[in-house]
Amino acid sequence: MTSNINNEKQAEITSAETDSSRRNFVFGSIAAAGVTIAPGVMLYQTANARSLSDFSLKEGASSKVRWGMLVDTTKQVDWNKCVEACNKEHGLNNETHSRDDQKTQYIRVVDVKNKGTGHSMSLPVMCQHCESAPCVDVCPTGASMKRDDGIVLVDRHRCIGCRYCMMACPYKARSFVHEVLSDQKENTPRGKGCVESCNMCVNRIDNGLEPACVEASNEAIIFGDLNDPESKIAKLLKEFGGKQIRADLKLNPGVYYKGI
Amino acid sequence: MRLHLNLLSLAIVSLVLLTSMSSVVASQDSLGPKITIQQTSGEKCILPPEEMRRQHPDLLKHDRIATLREGVRAKADGGKLDGSLKQCVNCHAIKDDSNKYVRIDNDQHFCVSCHKYAAVSIDCFQCHRDIPEGGGDFHTLSNHKGINYNAVVPGTYNLTVQDMANIVPEGYSDDK
Amino acid sequence: MKKLHFLEVEGNSLGYYAFLGLFSLIALIGILAAYYMEHNGHWVTGMSNQVIWGTPHVFAIFLIVAASGALNVASISSVFAKTAYKPLARLSGILAISLLSGGLVVLLLDLGRPDRLIVAMTQFNFVSIFTWNIFLYTGFMAIVGIYLWTMMDRPYNNLTKKAGLGAFIWRLILTTGTGSIFGFLISREAYDSALFAPMFVIMSFSFGLAFFILVLMGSYKYTHRALGDYMVNRLKNLLGVFVAAVLYFVLVYHVTNLYSADHRGVTLFVLADGGIYTFLFWVVQIVLGSLLPLALLYGPTGKNRTMIGLAAVLVIIGGMAQLYVIIVGGQAYPMHLFPGMEVSSSFYDGVVASYSPSLPEVLLGFGGFGVTLLLVTLAVAALKFLPDSLEDAIADPHGK
Ligand code: SF4
Ligand code: SF4
Repeated sequence: MTSNINNEKQAEITSAETDSSRRNFVFGSIAAAGVTIAPGVMLYQTANARSLSDFSLKEGASSKVRWGMLVDTTKQVDWNKCVEACNKEHGLNNETHSRDDQKTQYIRVVDVKNKGTGHSMSLPVMCQHCESAPCVDVCPTGASMKRDDGIVLVDRHRCIGCRYCMMACPYKARSFVHEVLSDQKENTPRGKGCVESCNMCVNRIDNGLEPACVEASNEAIIFGDLNDPESKIAKLLKEFGGKQIRADLKLNPGVYYKGI
Repeated sequence: MRLHLNLLSLAIVSLVLLTSMSSVVASQDSLGPKITIQQTSGEKCILPPEEMRRQHPDLLKHDRIATLREGVRAKADGGKLDGSLKQCVNCHAIKDDSNKYVRIDNDQHFCVSCHKYAAVSIDCFQCHRDIPEGGGDFHTLSNHKGINYNAVVPGTYNLTVQDMANIVPEGYSDDK
Repeated sequence: MKKLHFLEVEGNSLGYYAFLGLFSLIALIGILAAYYMEHNGHWVTGMSNQVIWGTPHVFAIFLIVAASGALNVASISSVFAKTAYKPLARLSGILAISLLSGGLVVLLLDLGRPDRLIVAMTQFNFVSIFTWNIFLYTGFMAIVGIYLWTMMDRPYNNLTKKAGLGAFIWRLILTTGTGSIFGFLISREAYDSALFAPMFVIMSFSFGLAFFILVLMGSYKYTHRALGDYMVNRLKNLLGVFVAAVLYFVLVYHVTNLYSADHRGVTLFVLADGGIYTFLFWVVQIVLGSLLPLALLYGPTGKNRTMIGLAAVLVIIGGMAQLYVIIVGGQAYPMHLFPGMEVSSSFYDGVVASYSPSLPEVLLGFGGFGVTLLLVTLAVAALKFLPDSLEDAIADPHGK
């Protein structure tokens, strides 16, 4: 984000995007109408948002990047706001038949208490986007997959709903859709018979925005590129350190916690 | 036992033959009922209708792999990918008499109308949204990219003025 | 010694149709139950995001494990050249195929998207043990098929030994593979054990033979063919050995786990305070499913056919209980996000998950047995799988 090369690349992407957006107005008069009602809303990106990511929309996810998060559990925030934002972003919690233990949760607030000292704390737990992800290894069809930039997600076009990935995940990060769904969010397709989990708001990241929970966390969660030593997250990790949950399993999750 | 099996298979074969014959006879009368595809709001699709009719499954399949698995969100020239189901739905959404978008359980739904006619089942919409976001009426107000969660009070999210400000790029003016 | 003679079962009799009808009905009900589950989604079942695999998986894995064990008799005859078992080798082969089919049907029908079978068969992730299993299962069918062919087609009889050896090796790998589905799950305390694969092999011997004995005795009884004591005794003694071996393995498994700090929690859960799982373990698996059958087989009742049959049924029930404790109990026990800490959340962290099997799940499971028995019933009438008599004079190679 700081290097010149990156800035140039972004500028190029931004202008290409803008051009194409204009060209693509032929896509429909809905879009054209949109311009008159609310000028510019069909344009894709603010310069500000774009500068968040340094990879190309055209080239796709790059293995030079490893997206990650750093959760500061010492900050006094209402983690439920993150859950709320996640549910909103992905249209979750819309099951009508499922029991509570059957409903999807991408992110949950876990209360941890040390019986010895009596110390307790809360922290949000979502898919930890493991580098050696067991859910990816066990999936028979390759539906459970890791993008080059480290984001783990389910390709629902391939998922057969065997739930082996759920058995394999040490963080209980995955949910199975137990019923027919409708009225999904257009950026988060999800439906009966497939497994799903936090996808780090891949739709937002690819468009230069931060994940919903990060945005709702009042800066208690920092999102960024773990591979870029200049990124905020990398600097914070370097300076203050951070721990991964169940680091003993050596899965190298992309989500770090401070204060656990 | 042997005899029974033989008889059974004979019965099955004749049944299959009979059914196929009757459908041939039916289709000779006319080439079946004509289908009317609803005119939708889009001015021009990415390809002429004849080509879209043939190629849309391949376009969608190709680009779904690129987008989902590889994270490619734009064409080499920076333009939008062709095979975006979201975009298909946004242009081809059809409204009923009460000016509401018809959903996937309605025969008038653009995809359904044709797929039903062709007797090809689709399962796209078991997961994908079937109509434009926000019920459609306000969908042009959203850039489909994201909302600002800093402003979210749990349970009461509404599009705020600040969201709008975030959405509209700086220095944008109407006459561009 | 009289000559061994194979003959199809008479298919054109009321009794035969009655069995055919019964088994079809069970299979059909199972399939309808699966349709109901698929149509509504899994919310109609007891399964959840906590107990992910439930009753259908208990049945399916039982059948798959038993499939490989049912091949035992054939292996003993052709691989270990024990001619006494030769008359039963064909039945052993067809039973293995049928059991595997039954198990796979259940596994398949419980998928979230069974309509995507084609995806499972065309897109492979070769890192996944599930993928290996897909190949192990289809390969097993093929190899046992060839094996049966060499046995039943006289010109190819000389290949039987080779085919038998191939099938024997294959089924050992297959059961190891099935056990590994669990063994590789490092995430769950109950499963993270290298003992899983060998334990599954031993379990397969026992479950498969119990099923085999029941089918053998049943089919001879209802076709009024002679089944001498010589054969039955051999089989029941063998079953006793296998049951004891499983018991021994279960002992070793739990004792080693008690001594490993990582696994003590879940072991104590199963052995002492797991409620239903503790009950199933001690009462059903150990007492009813292991000790009682051993007593029935080796005690004074050892000559009584009904008691032998009862022992086999108990071994099957005990085996189902064992798998239930392993599969469901292993998931019910909470996963440790923060070892040593007390955790709680909206997603049931830190609590024992509840699970009660729903009717459709159970019906689907029994449907698997229905499919198995239906296939066997059809096969024995269509081809020469069963000797027309197994009286001692024929069955005992050293006999009169
Ligand atoms: S946390 Fe679970 S679902 Fe996420 S990558 Fe790791 S194993 Fe997979
Ligand atoms: S449930 Fe879907 S994503 Fe998970 S292992 Fe099975 S096929 Fe893969």
